[in-house]
Amino acid sequence: MKLVPVILFFIFVFQANAQRNDFANINFDKADAIALKYKGEELYNLNSLVEKLTEHLSTDVERFRAIYMWVCTNISNDYNLYTKNSRKRNRYLNDPILLETWNNEFKKEIFKKLIENKQTICTGYAYLVKEMANIANIECEIVHGYGKTSTMNLDNITAPNHSWNAVKLNDKWYLCDPTWASGLIDPDTFQFKFDFKDGLFLPSPDLFVMNHYPIDEKWMLLDNNKPTFDMFLQSPLIYNRAYANLSTHIFPLEMYNIIKRDETIAFKYKLSKTIELAEVVLMIDDGNTTVEVKPLKTRLNDDLLTVEHQFDKKGFYDVHLLINNDLISTYTFRVKS
Amino acid sequence: MKTLVQPLVFKSINLKTFFALLGCILFSLNTTTAQTNPTITSTNEITVKGLVVNEDGPLPGVNILLKGTKTGTVTDMEGTFTFPVKLKVNDVLVFQYIGYTTQEIIIKADSSFLKIELMPDLVEILGALDVDKPYKSKRKNKN
Repeated sequence: MKLVPVILFFIFVFQANAQRNDFANINFDKADAIALKYKGEELYNLNSLVEKLTEHLSTDVERFRAIYMWVCTNISNDYNLYTKNSRKRNRYLNDPILLETWNNEFKKEIFKKLIENKQTICTGYAYLVKEMANIANIECEIVHGYGKTSTMNLDNITAPNHSWNAVKLNDKWYLCDPTWASGLIDPDTFQFKFDFKDGLFLPSPDLFVMNHYPIDEKWMLLDNNKPTFDMFLQSPLIYNRAYANLSTHIFPLEMYNIIKRDETIAFKYKLSKTIELAEVVLMIDDGNTTVEVKPLKTRLNDDLLTVEHQFDKKGFYDVHLLINNDLISTYTFRVKS
Repeated sequence: MKTLVQPLVFKSINLKTFFALLGCILFSLNTTTAQTNPTITSTNEITVKGLVVNEDGPLPGVNILLKGTKTGTVTDMEGTFTFPVKLKVNDVLVFQYIGYTTQEIIIKADSSFLKIELMPDLVEILGALDVDKPYKSKRKNKN
């Protein structure tokens, strides 16, 4: 009889979270190998490219994976296109006519560059994933919204700035972000480098919403606990490496925190993989120096990770959580006496 | 007088008869259209050529696929194409080009030359970049 609550729990969890572990029985190695085999193919004949990528795969999730993997490992992010577009969009923020004129003009440049150079910005990635999925008869949509990263002014995210995808597999919607999964821009040289981040493929929706707030809230894929936009702005900053380690960020709820000296603060996370407690590190920046410290306490309870820490000096600290050198999340603490 | 009689006649027809008559009429229409194109239904084969343009002119590189098959072609530098196999009435050609709304064209008896204008997809272009750099608070005065 004890089994009943367990079964109910699993039914609840699997309904609430449309995420990758729904496909735990599927190994994506074959799909990934096919994507790799066709690395460097051109985009001029999309139908035949999709056919090559999908013809030997037997499930929609694998077919979609091959398409997604191919896009993430063949299309590069163009920093110049990005700055050009964000500059213009900000200038025309309050002028819908000029904004539309700019968008129509820029759209041609974007798609030309995508086809000819395989370079683009977010919408180009999301667009290509959708087009290719649709050719393979997989329902897929572009989702527009607000993305949050460490180099943005977090108090001033005013206009939508990011696009990603929702995909329907086995009658259920899932999320993915091909742009951020593909690689990184070097913050100093502004060069793009490929660096595939697997965690952004069908991630847990409640983690995803922490740095992806859709304009249309149905694409949060959350039945309840939908955050408001203010909650999104105030929530801790998570990094895209978090997806490889966490399934849920539980606590602290906010990025900016005020505590007292020697007060114990607790950080809580649900993990998506097994980790060693020794891999959990806090990187603390007091404005002058940055030090890596072992947290006061770390505890693992099944997949629940609890980290506790205290500050013995007043001040203002940026605190970053790292697991096995992966940057997970950032909080700030004003420590009062 | 005639106008008075007619409504009475219609009233006396019940629903069943009405639908039976309707069926007959529709059926006969169908056969008459088929009869007007006897050559097409018997041969079933049309060589389809065409031109694909966008708002600026001819569009090279457009993918054209016979729906439900792997047979297809691509427009040349002048935006023109000749479909590699002969088509039948009611075959569907899918025209697809990145940045434009995909169009499906049903082949008719007179579809030997198609002029297709593709319309730009309505998408907002956005882009935020990912960086692997820790967040840094802006501090008014350093401690």
